Amino acid sequence: MVGLGFRREFAEEMISGEHIRPDFIEFAPENWMNIGGYWKKVLHRVVEKYPVLCHGLSLSIGSPEEPDKEFLQYVKTFLQEYNVQIYSEHLSYSKCDNAHMYDLLPIPFRMDAVKHIAGRIQQVQDFLQRPLVMEIVSYYTPVAAEMSEVDFINEVVKQSGCQLLLDVNNIYVNAFNHQYDAKAFIQQLPLDKVAYIHMAGHEQVAPDLIIDTHGEPIIDPVYDLFEWTIQHLRPVPVLLERDFNIPEMEALQGELTRLKTICHKQWKLKDELVA
Amino acid sequence: MNLLPDTYHIQQTFSGYCRTGEKVSLPGVAPDRLKHYRRLVFNMINDTMENAFPIAFKHIPTGKWNKMVKDFFAHHACRSYQVWKLPLEFYTYAVENNWEENYALPFLNDLLAFEWAEMEVYNMEDIPAQPFTAAGNWLDTPLVLNPEHQLLSFTYPVHLVAKPKELLRQKGVYFVLLFRDPETGNVEFMDLSPWLAFLTEQLVMGITVRDILDYAPQLNITDTDTLEKDTLAFLQHMQQQHFVLGFQS
Repeated sequence: MVGLGFRREFAEEMISGEHIRPDFIEFAPENWMNIGGYWKKVLHRVVEKYPVLCHGLSLSIGSPEEPDKEFLQYVKTFLQEYNVQIYSEHLSYSKCDNAHMYDLLPIPFRMDAVKHIAGRIQQVQDFLQRPLVMEIVSYYTPVAAEMSEVDFINEVVKQSGCQLLLDVNNIYVNAFNHQYDAKAFIQQLPLDKVAYIHMAGHEQVAPDLIIDTHGEPIIDPVYDLFEWTIQHLRPVPVLLERDFNIPEMEALQGELTRLKTICHKQWKLKDELVA
Repeated sequence: MNLLPDTYHIQQTFSGYCRTGEKVSLPGVAPDRLKHYRRLVFNMINDTMENAFPIAFKHIPTGKWNKMVKDFFAHHACRSYQVWKLPLEFYTYAVENNWEENYALPFLNDLLAFEWAEMEVYNMEDIPAQPFTAAGNWLDTPLVLNPEHQLLSFTYPVHLVAKPKELLRQKGVYFVLLFRDPETGNVEFMDLSPWLAFLTEQLVMGITVRDILDYAPQLNITDTDTLEKDTLAFLQHMQQQHFVLGFQS
């Protein structure tokens, strides 16, 4: 299954399915909770047409403070109402001192942070009565790290029991920005815990820095990394994210088709070998 | 909480930098990379405010606007987990901090209130209307109004005029009705006379038009023949606009 992030800018095109036809859609509950009027009607139309996965923005699993129970209750109700199959979030924090930042800040790679986050993930999973799928985020600088990124992620997964969202573009961006080998990094992850994949484009803003913008097409090296990666995974849903510089739908469909072709090639081959 | 105080402090310092842009020292952090976080976070806040308050953004001098957004984000802990609701916090912060005086923009509170109300009514959760029938007596049957509305009063006609100098010249008492068209979802707004604002307020409470008209003399409105005709014409027009839905069944 290859899906597309649902955005208001191309809602009608996705509903009509004429020029773009993903296998599923994904959206952030925060952008659609507690709204009515025109957009609620649109939401109902699109969820009738496609299976839905949700990718949250405001959970802020790495926050020092307690999880927001009111927010979690809204999320739980929303996920039930729209029969959401996967709820994923970010391994980062976006809220501190009870102030939302509306962006993904890097957590210090430290063992106390691991324990803190693992406890919070378990709290949230217990409350929502479903597994959390945590995305490895892109980051532009480490912060007061006392352990490697990959050890940090492995420990969080081990201690919390969460699943992983592997954003292949993020791994590419991080490997470039922090000068490590993307494949070696991926090989060290608990790949049996990967439940979902994201793919996106990015923008290089300096000779040594890429920003994860979701505003450009996926580049060939990221497709290559994706093809290599999925050979090490069981089949999972794959999502194309495009949040800015929205192109013609045919261009997005082209990216979906390319991803689907790669999945078909690698995962079908794997299935045949297993059989 | 399992976080050690040092880690907690580092997270606070990092997020504090994103909010203020004031220089910080953090172990292991590359300063030339850190600045991108401030840029990305602040751009999100700035874009949200520009999109929510397009008239204010266009007509308030750039220096003042930038100072407002920076002040707001640095000193206000944004509480909404839905970014579209953040403009309400901006508006509230402006009122609480007396920006209309401090920035010499006497119409600011009215303008922010109006622009926020448009967004709020557009996005607000659906409110079911009372049961109603299409036929009834305009004078004696209580009317059913579209519940997805707001009735606001302003000192400056921010719903009619955009230019600051014009606004200042036209200081007075204004009423505006905003409502969401149940068919299109668009927000419509209408300038109301004090009488029509009073009428709307009473109709919401289920009072009949006749009873409201009977009260008119107490508001020093004496031309009651014309008043009844004009009032009914207004309500019939508002039925076409999908604000008056029908008659209580």
